[in-house]
Amino acid sequence: MTFVRDNMAPLMFGGLVVFMLIGYPAAFSLAAVGLFFGFIGIELGLIVPDYLGNLTYQLYGIISNDLLLAIPFFTFMGAILERCGLAEDLLDSIGQLFGPVRGGLSYAVIFVGAILGAITGTVAASVIAMGVISVPIMMKYGYSTRHTMGVIAASGTITQVIPPSLVLVVLADQLGRSVGDMYAGAIGPSIIQIALFCAWVFIVSVIWPKDVPALPPEARTLRGWALWRKCLRGIIPSLGLIFLVLGTIFLGLATPTEAGALGAVGALLLAGMHRTLSWPLVYQGMSTTMRLTAMVVYILIGARTFSLVFQGVGGKEWIEHLLAALPGGQFGFLVFVNILIFVIAFFLDFFEIAFILIPLLSPVADKLGIDLIWFGVLICANIQTSFMHPPFGFALFYLRGITPPSVKTADIYWGAIPWLVLQVILVAILIIWPESVTYWISKAPPVDPNTVKFEIQIPESPPPLNLQ
Amino acid sequence: MAEAALNAFLKLSRIIDRINDQFGTIANFLVLFACLVSAANAAIRYGLNGLLYLSHNVAFFSALQLGLTWYGNNANALLEAQWYMFAGIVLLGAPFTLKLNEHVRVDLLYGMASPRIRLWIDILGTIFFLLPICVILIYFTWFWFLDSWAINETSSNAGGLIRWPVKLLLPVGFALMALQGVSELIKRVAALMGRYTLHHQYEAPVQ
Repeated sequence: MTFVRDNMAPLMFGGLVVFMLIGYPAAFSLAAVGLFFGFIGIELGLIVPDYLGNLTYQLYGIISNDLLLAIPFFTFMGAILERCGLAEDLLDSIGQLFGPVRGGLSYAVIFVGAILGAITGTVAASVIAMGVISVPIMMKYGYSTRHTMGVIAASGTITQVIPPSLVLVVLADQLGRSVGDMYAGAIGPSIIQIALFCAWVFIVSVIWPKDVPALPPEARTLRGWALWRKCLRGIIPSLGLIFLVLGTIFLGLATPTEAGALGAVGALLLAGMHRTLSWPLVYQGMSTTMRLTAMVVYILIGARTFSLVFQGVGGKEWIEHLLAALPGGQFGFLVFVNILIFVIAFFLDFFEIAFILIPLLSPVADKLGIDLIWFGVLICANIQTSFMHPPFGFALFYLRGITPPSVKTADIYWGAIPWLVLQVILVAILIIWPESVTYWISKAPPVDPNTVKFEIQIPESPPPLNLQ
Repeated sequence: MAEAALNAFLKLSRIIDRINDQFGTIANFLVLFACLVSAANAAIRYGLNGLLYLSHNVAFFSALQLGLTWYGNNANALLEAQWYMFAGIVLLGAPFTLKLNEHVRVDLLYGMASPRIRLWIDILGTIFFLLPICVILIYFTWFWFLDSWAINETSSNAGGLIRWPVKLLLPVGFALMALQGVSELIKRVAALMGRYTLHHQYEAPVQ
């Protein structure tokens, strides 16, 4: 009994692994571990029965969390954009623009992936929209299957790092940092990532030119002004949406949640402009959004139940003790955490990692003096790889779902690997060069409270109401 | 005898499914409504304030002023309505999501297991994980709701909404989830006996 009492936290962690591996839905397995060990803890006198009553407040905290509301909004926006015709316009025009260059279609996919990423926050929307359009074209003009699969999956996952990414919103919530800072921190890494991807396409076009041929002249139907007009037709509404979502956040006009809602309404308008807006489209979007949101928030409910009890039995101290003993200080901790997450991402999906692991790791990171924004962006870039891991990566799943059966699953997996390596390089760059993240975060100059003066001006016309 | 009992249970399962289909539809609509309300909140707040700066025409101005006053009095209610709807999406929609078998699993072993083993995992998981959790959470949240109901609690924000409906959503949501658990349990036991074919195989959900 004393053994159990002294080792409650590690036992509970082991219980977590076992319960999760059974394969019952994660939300319930998590809550079950929490409550099971909660009752053992009460029996052993480690926690008082009233402690579990805190669960009610945790639950209420989840459903009244304004930031989590961004999950349905961004998902809904993605679901509408996926099929509204914007991606088609962009890929078609930019593809023709870059077409004459070797690897041009690949560059086009990367740029369109980046633009879609800056509009929406979900991977599925990007990968599906780009895959449906690009796969047939790239195959037709002789791009190698593996390269095609890799570039589309990878470009679709750029969405994860480029603001307004849903991952960054959830991480900001879990780390207790502002979403705006998180987004600012992700600008540098996004640029580095796009540069890395383009560099790889260039390398491929030099070493294996047959894999990425230039478009033959007869495929380039649009020229001159007609081509530019088509490009603008795709890009102008995109910029509008980017402003509606990102612009309003960075200018401080809207909260990330409201920006998500504005973006969703913008996507509906855009679908209307493309004449693809229909009730089945909207209802299907509502329905997938509802199911994803319910699923994700239930995981959070389970994870909170788990962490409440885990903290009650001293889990936080145990983890801190364990991780603080790692050699190498900050650097050692970061390398360890990134390898851990890279491996765990094979088994857990992003939301489980964010809700279970991050609350355990962030206090330690904070204690080691690691900037939590940097830490969050780093983890975000790392988790991005989880979308590309064969065989469970979501981006690969989506690609499998939309490519013809003639494409072998093995080709999708092998195609993903070079891009996976590029993402690992990105993570390494971010660890070694933290300024790539922190450079973009505006540092408010410290204000000396003694120098602040309040001046009240009496306006001549009635003053505008401030409703904030 | 056993035959009749099984049929009765399957009928119960169908009734539960139909109830949660309805709540699922409600949750679907809440997605759209929450989105529109939130977008409108942001647009009105900044749009009207912006117009107010620009306007010098008295009639136009007082019309705006009127609109703003109305909005000002109801802003908190509208802001709170957003997350009330969010609570509805999650708590009323999750049982329907369970019915569609779309709650994410760690499918490392589950993916390799035979259909019979999967049925057993689901049956045992429902009995030992899902149902007890729902019962405990209903127990916690129900009395909490009663407290709120007894004092007719309202939001601490000026012009905010009454609080107990959203607190009621918690026990109701968990009760619906428990019901759906019972329905899934019946379906899986019937499937083990070869009397039922599951419609929704587990697939990792789209994100």
